[in-house]
Amino acid sequence: MLDTVQTIVGNAMLVVGAFIILSGAIGLIRLPDFYTRVCAIAAAAGLGVALLIVGLLVLDPTVENIIKGVIAIIGQLVTSSIGGFALARAGYLTGARPAAFTVPDQLAEDARDNPADTERI
Amino acid sequence: MIHPVVAVIVVIMLIAAVALAVVRIVVGPTKADSAIAGDLILFAFMGLMVVFGLLLRVDAVLDIILVAAILGFLSILSLARLLQGRKR
Repeated sequence: MLDTVQTIVGNAMLVVGAFIILSGAIGLIRLPDFYTRVCAIAAAAGLGVALLIVGLLVLDPTVENIIKGVIAIIGQLVTSSIGGFALARAGYLTGARPAAFTVPDQLAEDARDNPADTERI
Repeated sequence: MIHPVVAVIVVIMLIAAVALAVVRIVVGPTKADSAIAGDLILFAFMGLMVVFGLLLRVDAVLDIILVAAILGFLSILSLARLLQGRKR
């Protein structure tokens, strides 16, 4: 009985993880500007790959697999969050214009108000 | 182990994700869009590694994924630095 639950849960996690990555890709296409895309990918990729790894762990849980899996999940979450931030910052510095409806663009206002220290971003 | 139907579904989804990312790379207005799409392709590749590792009973799957996660970290940071150029 236990291994049927194990395979069902593991396979379900794999499908959900892949679906999350696919939804990130769909978001990549349909979202209006660069910043929403970076946000979508950072979130989707982090969770999607983490779910895939947990599904893999559920399917064959040996001890060293679990240790490697936990480290991989932590590394993956760190990767997608910090990477997303770094890329969004790089995009802003190289002039990726936010979509029109980004009303409160504090960074631009700061740059306009005190141009002296715009390098502080 | 992994159910064959599940494996097919997951592989099809991930291939579709890679295809959409390639479309964004080609179309992407700024280089930053292409960078984030390239990053998504790496994550989809990690998903494919999980599925094929399970299908072919590869023991080293999690090592590959660990290395891919760390390389993903380095690659996205270097892409960001590459995009920035000289602006700090």
